[in-house]
Amino acid sequence: MTLNPVLATLIAVAIWFLVFVYLHIVGLRSRKGNVHWLVLSYAACCAATLVTVVALSVWRDSGQTLLLSIPIAVLTSACLFVLYVPAVYTILTSLSVATLILLRSTDGRMPETSLYDRFATRGIIQQRLCVLVDAGYLAENACGFSLTSRGRALARAFAFIKRLWCLGPGG
Amino acid sequence: MTIVLLAVVTIALRFYQTAQRAKQMTLIYFGCVILLVLAWFTTSVDLGFLSPSLLIEPGWLDFSLMLFFFTAAFFGGALQLYNLADRGFSLRILIDVEQTNFHGIDADWIVANYGGGKGLTWMYGKRIEGLLETKLIDRKAEMLELTSKGERAADVLLAVRRFLRLEPYP
Repeated sequence: MTLNPVLATLIAVAIWFLVFVYLHIVGLRSRKGNVHWLVLSYAACCAATLVTVVALSVWRDSGQTLLLSIPIAVLTSACLFVLYVPAVYTILTSLSVATLILLRSTDGRMPETSLYDRFATRGIIQQRLCVLVDAGYLAENACGFSLTSRGRALARAFAFIKRLWCLGPGG
Repeated sequence: MTIVLLAVVTIALRFYQTAQRAKQMTLIYFGCVILLVLAWFTTSVDLGFLSPSLLIEPGWLDFSLMLFFFTAAFFGGALQLYNLADRGFSLRILIDVEQTNFHGIDADWIVANYGGGKGLTWMYGKRIEGLLETKLIDRKAEMLELTSKGERAADVLLAVRRFLRLEPYP
């Protein structure tokens, strides 16, 4: 019995994506830089997926199904990635998640003003500014912070989306 | 169909926006899923031009992949784009910096001018309102407290953060 080539491709994608998730978790647990490690481990696993899919196709049918297998592998892997990353970032950076966890660690209740004192502060902004500088979106000079060309492009793109969808100030 | 979805979402948000925009977008997604399923069942497998080597067989696999790709395009693409544009904290900082002529931007300026001049307190108030709307927390007098749903969510999130050995919040 031979396995369907598309099914074989999907199994290869799933296995390598699980390897990526495992590597990413190991990286987070050992405190490697999240963004760099995320991109590096995904790129490595994506390359390994493609090599596996090509090898499987060559072994099965001398590469006749490559034209179908490669797009499916790339697309499936990309879809899994775009579903995975937002979930990770919610746990890593969401202020709503931080609020729930803080409340849980204080018997489930806190004065509203204490929460504002904790999360609507200069410290939170300072932390984000450092992240944005590290990511290359902002530059710090003697006068303060300014946008890099990369930061300006991203800000304009999202400002356009906000206008297009009439989202108001947001944030 | 993803392009159709984006077009309908754009029209809906521009002309018929509701208070719960994410729910509105999700309803549009389900409408598009119905159209997609109808299109899948009413068109020929090869669409009249695809070579047999490019067809996914069996049919259930083709159908499942179609739904998966479209679902990922919505939840990982369109809805995520909306979340970032509407609630992205760092992105809003970048937009505020881009839209001001003021030089010498620092943390204090952002605290006061975040969200197009609304300030940081407004930003956090929006998060609190979101948690209240989803019934994860409840407001009693001056206190905010977790609901049982909020407790369960917090326990799961706390367990995940501990498993990932993430540093406690500042």
